[in-house]
Amino acid sequence: MKRLLKWIGGVLALLLLAALGVLCYMAGSPRDAYGMVRYALPHMHRGTLKVGSDAPDARLLALDGTSHFHIRERIGARPLVLVFGSFT
Amino acid sequence: MGDIVQIYNDYKEHADFLTVYVREAHPTDEWQMKSNVKDDVCYAQPKTLEQRVAIAQDFTKHYKFPLPFGIDDMGNAADSAYAAWPERLYVIDETGHVAYRGGMGPFNYKPGEVRDWLARKYGAVKHEPPVTAASSTNAAPPAASTPAPDKAIAPTQPSSTK
Repeated sequence: MKRLLKWIGGVLALLLLAALGVLCYMAGSPRDAYGMVRYALPHMHRGTLKVGSDAPDARLLALDGTSHFHIRERIGARPLVLVFGSFT
Repeated sequence: MGDIVQIYNDYKEHADFLTVYVREAHPTDEWQMKSNVKDDVCYAQPKTLEQRVAIAQDFTKHYKFPLPFGIDDMGNAADSAYAAWPERLYVIDETGHVAYRGGMGPFNYKPGEVRDWLARKYGAVKHEPPVTAASSTNAAPPAASTPAPDKAIAPTQPSSTK
């Protein structure tokens, strides 16, 4: 029985190592693999919007740093292309 | 961002555009990318709205970014509503409904799908890129560093052509 458990443990450890190796390879480095798990994975499959959903509103600050406007204010006679992103 | 700028230049006579700056994808105090160090794009995650404004202004100056611009609040309301982080594209139609929802960037951040949507509605438009236009590749994290996002939803067929 002990021998069987050792085998199962060994196989699981090898599988875990292989999974870590694949993750590091996909991410580019162990550090990036950690970043992927820590920061990106929680955001996958986030959100419930679908084609046909009402576009949510949000209040935004203008680039001047003082005035505000709403996304909904920009929806009107023409389609609105929304581009979300950051610098880094 | 270069592709989006080109799409903006091609279709700004037909559609409105709005860029929304959301929280940083790869700040120095979280998951910093080597490519950002190489390009000297190094910012900590903003703790105040003023810091967000400063980074957004750096971004628009750096790329001479021509699209209309807004900044998400510190509660990340726009990010939450649109599942925007780290980057994502949408088209909202004239009735206020989502007409196209892109996938989570960078793997499924596909400006070409937005161009296709617009081309189906307004016809193919391709201007020569202006000399002063941003020629940057992407302000978002390098594709190789982020896990595969959820699947993009294909653009709907427009109800009419103009």
